[in-house]
Amino acid sequence: MRGLIGAISALAIMASSAASAESLKLVEVITSPERTKVLQQQVEAFEAANPGTEVEIVSLPWGQAFEKFATMVAGGDIPDVVEMPDRWAGIYKDKLVDLNSRIADWEHGETLTQKTIDMGRQTDGKTVRMIPYGFYLRALFYNKKLLEEAGVGEAPKTMADFMAAAKAVSELDGKYGYCLRGGPGGLNGWIMMAATMNGNNTFFDENGKSTLNQPGSVEGIQFLIDLYQNGYAPKDSVSWGFNEIVAGFYSGTCAFLDQDPDALIAVAERMEADDFAVVPMPVGPAGKAFPTIGFAGWAMFDTTSNEDLSWKLIAHLASPEANKEWAKRVGVIPIHEGAEQDPYFKTEQFKGWFDTLNGDQYVPTVMPTYLEQFGYFADSIALESSQEALLGQISAQEVADKWAEFLTEEYARWKAAQ
Amino acid sequence: MSTATPAPGKPRARPSFYFRYLVEPYLYIAPAFVLIALVMLVPLVIGVSYAFQSVSLLRPFETGWVGTENFQALWSDRKFWLALKNTFWWTLGSIFFQFFLGLGLALLLNTRFYGKRLVQALVFLPWAVPTFLSALTWAWLFNPTIGPLPHWLAALGILSEPFNILGDPDLAMWGPITANVWFGVPFFAITLLAALQSIPGELYEAAEIDGATAWQSFTKITLPFLAPMIAITVMLRTIWIANFADLIFVMTGGGPANSTQILSTYIFTTAFRKLDFGYASAIAVALLALLLIYAVILLVLRRRLVKI
Repeated sequence: MRGLIGAISALAIMASSAASAESLKLVEVITSPERTKVLQQQVEAFEAANPGTEVEIVSLPWGQAFEKFATMVAGGDIPDVVEMPDRWAGIYKDKLVDLNSRIADWEHGETLTQKTIDMGRQTDGKTVRMIPYGFYLRALFYNKKLLEEAGVGEAPKTMADFMAAAKAVSELDGKYGYCLRGGPGGLNGWIMMAATMNGNNTFFDENGKSTLNQPGSVEGIQFLIDLYQNGYAPKDSVSWGFNEIVAGFYSGTCAFLDQDPDALIAVAERMEADDFAVVPMPVGPAGKAFPTIGFAGWAMFDTTSNEDLSWKLIAHLASPEANKEWAKRVGVIPIHEGAEQDPYFKTEQFKGWFDTLNGDQYVPTVMPTYLEQFGYFADSIALESSQEALLGQISAQEVADKWAEFLTEEYARWKAAQ
Repeated sequence: MSTATPAPGKPRARPSFYFRYLVEPYLYIAPAFVLIALVMLVPLVIGVSYAFQSVSLLRPFETGWVGTENFQALWSDRKFWLALKNTFWWTLGSIFFQFFLGLGLALLLNTRFYGKRLVQALVFLPWAVPTFLSALTWAWLFNPTIGPLPHWLAALGILSEPFNILGDPDLAMWGPITANVWFGVPFFAITLLAALQSIPGELYEAAEIDGATAWQSFTKITLPFLAPMIAITVMLRTIWIANFADLIFVMTGGGPANSTQILSTYIFTTAFRKLDFGYASAIAVALLALLLIYAVILLVLRRRLVKI
């Protein structure tokens, strides 16, 4: 009897290890029906190319992804491969596999753009913890018709032009200059304006002190407050998130929108291609603009039982062909060199982003997502205090001081941990 | 034979007496006790104990007992007091309209009219809608681009121009309150209607014969009979609403500028955005204490006022 039980359990162990050798768990955290469909197709192609492999896709809706994923990992239900947004990388960095040598041995490793490698290394500057699958870079959408009606000849090139154009459009009845994102996800706009007016996008000076309350940055923050308080942005834009600003733009309520390529999908569906275009963000007094750049990528946890297969999946998803398709359908800037030669990316709309990438006066700003509490800062502290500032409850200086204090403290903690 | 049987009235065996009257009953209710302890008391004690510890997911090595540190931080936390004030207005505003509209509806449904069954079914509809969905729907209704409400309010002269009140810090709280009133009226209507229907009809007949006015029979018969139900439903609903964050979370996310932040949304943000479970528990304990005090006051009042 005991022999039988032993044999059965041995069989069971063999069976389960055989099964786990061939199955991977992939968690996606930024989800939409379209995205999940693309991912599913690419994963199916991977399964077909590797017979006997099964990839289970777990989709977490972005709204609750952060706490759900944290709970999953804390509870030991750790996936093999994960879609890692830049701002979470700092939290999970110690659990993610170093991909340096894998990329060096990879046939497509050579064509990855330098930016891609740099962003993959953002947690400590040395180790590639993830392969970004594309970039979200800010550029300025503008409504050609509205500008024409308001008598503005061309898209603004400087911040002063931008303010003047916003003012001119706002004089039209029921129209506004700027689709201000005062609600969720608004931090990028604030940081961008602060850096552009300050002429500098480093977050901390050599003493580890945040630059956000330097006089130039405060001017940038004041710039957005002025836009709102002078009525160049709709009154309820103080709580607008992504959907509202995009709707505000394509409905023709406001003439300017600063967004990533993912907004292009929704805008292009509802506006004639001739009615709008995208240009780089206006430059500040120093002649430079600092649009924020964000990303997410594929990473694997060190608890995976099959590192080789996990890497294979990541390599498959990040291959030039798969990535180009992903970039088109999800709305990001691709990660391999030469992708901009594709006709899809050669439109007047996409030009804004590639001009930004190629122009010397445009310096992409990477948010300090390596700070542990960055997510909390962006989603709670910055959100609430920036709304208070827009509504005139606190001044630009006060909000800048508050942010600088928090970030300086977090930076010191991060420094100490290095 | 007679020596073997004990005298009548004398217990046959002492041990079995103790067992049957002192031990056995408790054995019967033991499963219930164990269950309650497992699903309610244990988590409660653990939750309360977190309030005296440093439990932060991001700093796993800095955990440990910190005494009343979390509560001291709470005392000087401006946001906590703001959230407390908002919780008060949110709860009071919601319960006030829910109760009076619910009572009116119950009185109406207690009369006879044509098509009553249909109306009755429609009235209870809001309860069948998931809160998330009703929050989204109301949020769209308040949006001037798509929704009709701002335009109606402007036409009525309540708003100077059609704008989204959810974006105005002085008015934003009215958005979730409106949704909550719509959502919560059926509860009062159902429970109060049940209580109304249990009032004997003869009392009203007698009152009518004695020449009582409608107002008199309402205050002298209906209200005293409804009072116990009113006390208990108002208490339950207050506690529920004070803890009810779904509508606010979906409609405004606590904004703009914290103007709709209530304690339970603040607890959520602290626990799941800041990942600081210790501090979140401290806020939760404060809320628990406040609600306990409220419940005790209401129960005492109920005993004083309700003479049945």
